[in-house]
Amino acid sequence: MERAAQQAVPLGQMEVFQALQRLHMTIFSQSVSPCGKFLAAGNNYGQIAIFSLSAALSSEAKEESKKPMVTFQAHDGPVYSMVSTDRHLLSAGDGEVKAWLWAEILKKVSVELGEGRGTQTQREPLRPPSAWGHRESYDSAIIQQAFLSMKGCKELWRRQPPYRTSLEVPEINALLLVPKENLLILAGGDCQLHAMDLETGTFMWALRGHTDYIHCLALRERSPEVLSGGEDGAVRLWGKECRIGGKTGGKGGWGEEDASHGSSSADLRTAKEVQTIEVYKHEECSRPHNGRWIGCLATDSDWMVCGGGPALTLWHLRSSTPTTVFPMRAPQKHVTFYQDLILSAGQGRCVNQWQLSGELKAQVPGSSPGLLSLSLNQQPAAPECKVLTAAGNSCRVDVFTNLGYRAFSLSF
Amino acid sequence: MSSESSKKRKPKVIRSDGAPAEGKRTRSDTEQEGKYYSEEAEVDLRDPGRDYELYKYTCQELQRLMAEIQDLKSRGGKDAAVEIEDRRIQSCVHFMTLKKLNRLAHIRLKKGRDQTHEAKQKVDAYHLQLQNLLYEVMHLQKEITKCLEFKSKHEEIDLVSLEEFYKEAPPDISKAEVTMGDPHQQTLARLDWELEQRKRLAEKYRECLSNKEKILKEIEVKKEYLSSLQPRLNSIMQASLPVQEYLFMPFDQAHKQYETARHLPPPLYVLFVQATAYGQACDKMLSVAIEGSVDEAKALFKPPEDSQDDESDSDAEEEQTTKRRRPTLGVQLDDKRKEMLKRHPLSVLLDLKCKDDSVLHLTFYYLMNLNIMTVKARVTTATELITPISAGDLLSPDSVLSCLYPGDHGKKTPNPANQYQFDKVGILTLRDYVLDLGHPYLWVQKLGGLHFPKEQPQHTVITDHSLSASHMETTMKLLKTRVQSRLALHKQFASLAKLQAAVVLNPGYSSIPPIFQLCLNWKGEKTNNNDDNIRAMESEVNVCYKELCGPRPGHQLLTNQLQRLCVLLDVYLETESHDDSVEGPKEFPQEKMCLRLFRGPSRIKPFKYNHPQGFFSHR
Repeated sequence: MERAAQQAVPLGQMEVFQALQRLHMTIFSQSVSPCGKFLAAGNNYGQIAIFSLSAALSSEAKEESKKPMVTFQAHDGPVYSMVSTDRHLLSAGDGEVKAWLWAEILKKVSVELGEGRGTQTQREPLRPPSAWGHRESYDSAIIQQAFLSMKGCKELWRRQPPYRTSLEVPEINALLLVPKENLLILAGGDCQLHAMDLETGTFMWALRGHTDYIHCLALRERSPEVLSGGEDGAVRLWGKECRIGGKTGGKGGWGEEDASHGSSSADLRTAKEVQTIEVYKHEECSRPHNGRWIGCLATDSDWMVCGGGPALTLWHLRSSTPTTVFPMRAPQKHVTFYQDLILSAGQGRCVNQWQLSGELKAQVPGSSPGLLSLSLNQQPAAPECKVLTAAGNSCRVDVFTNLGYRAFSLSF
Repeated sequence: MSSESSKKRKPKVIRSDGAPAEGKRTRSDTEQEGKYYSEEAEVDLRDPGRDYELYKYTCQELQRLMAEIQDLKSRGGKDAAVEIEDRRIQSCVHFMTLKKLNRLAHIRLKKGRDQTHEAKQKVDAYHLQLQNLLYEVMHLQKEITKCLEFKSKHEEIDLVSLEEFYKEAPPDISKAEVTMGDPHQQTLARLDWELEQRKRLAEKYRECLSNKEKILKEIEVKKEYLSSLQPRLNSIMQASLPVQEYLFMPFDQAHKQYETARHLPPPLYVLFVQATAYGQACDKMLSVAIEGSVDEAKALFKPPEDSQDDESDSDAEEEQTTKRRRPTLGVQLDDKRKEMLKRHPLSVLLDLKCKDDSVLHLTFYYLMNLNIMTVKARVTTATELITPISAGDLLSPDSVLSCLYPGDHGKKTPNPANQYQFDKVGILTLRDYVLDLGHPYLWVQKLGGLHFPKEQPQHTVITDHSLSASHMETTMKLLKTRVQSRLALHKQFASLAKLQAAVVLNPGYSSIPPIFQLCLNWKGEKTNNNDDNIRAMESEVNVCYKELCGPRPGHQLLTNQLQRLCVLLDVYLETESHDDSVEGPKEFPQEKMCLRLFRGPSRIKPFKYNHPQGFFSHR
């Protein structure tokens, strides 16, 4: 697809091609800017679009404020995962992780649009689209122009984890920030967890143990800190110390044997696989006809919720027993704890809200036939933009201003 | 401002009440206000004690002046009026002083009241706060007692004693250094240990139960065996009696078969011997058997007796039959035809097993009077095949083996001599009978060692082992590939029948590509709404159409898209993960080479074909 995109297309067919691309678009990942006012969304063609939440949510929002402020080609393959630090947007998918400066992106946006519109936005670099939205003739040509020029947008840096080479470059399915150690953990096609030091950009170590590719990662505030779920049907917990009551698996271990200096500043450095939960082996939640893969994972203190091929299930980690099996037939692709609820999404139009007891509290329909990611914008910097966004098998990002209904959709 | 002015007006009212005479005085408000301002401030400066002194002094002065005035009036002197006037003025001044003192007293009073009020309010607020705090204390005390009284469920659990716990529990559960000083952690650890132990015990219990079950079953089986042993022993004893009499070597299977083979007609015998030899030497998957009645075959081998009997009988019979059959010449001819097409009662059965457990059953017959061999074929597969309409006769016995060698349809007789025989009984061609008799393929004759040179009528045919042997291997291999390719074709038809594709063609085809929408009816209806891979397949043909345009101007796009769709469907079906809980092999075994089955969060299958290497990978 991406190669097709780069081919020189005769004029007039461009529109057809773009329409087809939109028709078959999948949005894999979302990330909110550190200021909380912008949302980045990455699709299967390797493009990242920047939407302005504040403009779309403002009272004088127009149709065009629900379009991306800018779209740029970030990767050759799909953008499977994105996270934001306080300055950077990190995106990954086709084996590489790239960092973009948020400030740079937003500055570029305003400059491009400023040139397109004349001189009026030069004075206010970070003006949201609604500010110039009162000019009626905001048209796609400008977006087009911005898009074309953003093709040249350069990433701050790019890194590739040390793969054991195979014919195919393994993809990266999940990124996870460990703020207290300034680490980025990457996981995906090569069945390993790679840790990158964000300070130096070096890959410090890798965790091995999964027997098939990894779908998802989650962070926990107590040891074991990092959880990973994969196609092999197991949730693996990585931490420093042995856990009470858990089945300790000795299979996993660090790539490099430098466990000697276990200083408190690098807790994870001495970590190893301390607990394995093979979800598909539990009769309560296993569904062999769907496969054994774990597609989503979230934790809250001693609790974990995971789903995928097996049913969405709430687990007590200390005793590694399933406590609640949520009655949802469709495989779930994203799950998160929110206050005293669990939000989940997957195959099907709806965002599902669950009580911890297993009761379905609500199903809120969105506009995509299947959902892949949910994002809760809880940036304290922009309380007016506190929304839930959901994206998946369409070119639209649904915005929920409260948990009860879909307010509107942002669209590529 | 307003509150200030009302404050200032108040003393004015009081004053006018207290001394109404003053109201008549004409003084501007501003003057008054100015004065009051100063008076309110004055209050703080003046000492109340001295004011009291002043008051007393003024009163005395007034009394004195009044007394003097009275005195003067009672005396009634001429100059008294002047004196009185003088006194009056003096007393007026004293009155002024009194009035001022009165005002000051009022202001003082008000101030005092205000202060009292303020203090009272403060006290009230403190009191309220105190009450609140007291209530809170009470509430907290209640909560504390509630907490203290809280009965956790774990208290009902009988835990092992502390010493025992530290002695027996593994250190990663007991964690002595943490739990020794912290009774809460200690209880948690003990509970964990309790859970662990109970889990183990439950496991043990289950194990013991299953063990018990197993042993019970074993006992049952052994009992049955023992109880059946006695009658069996008896029967063996009886059965062994005649054996002991004969004292023969036991006949094994092969022996029996060779015995039967002796009765085979020469071509079938050649086939049998060659096939057995080939099976033993080269191909273990080939099994050979003989079917049919040996007795009938034996009967055929005693022609002299039989013919005599026949003749003697036939004379008698002739009359009967002629009586019966004469009426129609057709019936007679029918009989003759039947006689001509008669098969040898024995037939050779070849079972050719392929790698995927599908079996080709071949039954070879020998037509005695025509001196040719025919074959009937049947294919059985390991899994139940769902036959779609389009794949109807792919595996039918009639056509599965046709044209194994070029031009060999198996409809004509390979023996040129037969044509003359047919003419006699009025058979036009063998074609009408092949369904019943089997197909006389050329390779079948060769396997039986029968060789019919073309265009040489009445050539005597002898069965030839070398001819059969030379053809055996190639034919068997051809047969195998034929069956496998037919099965593969069948599978493809079967899979295609499950796919529905809706195509939208724009008038601007082929510069505007067609759009496909798919629906797969396999294990439930799958569309792009409920299956990401169907969506990916659509995307492969719809979005990546530029790869499929072919040479310019790309008129083959639709054809190429359809072809691509077939390949995609094959990949889809073959890589579908197999449900372990369902018995039996996969419906669509994997034949394509793939690096990985799934990739990414959507678990997309490898739809991209890498041309020279010939494997499938992800886009």
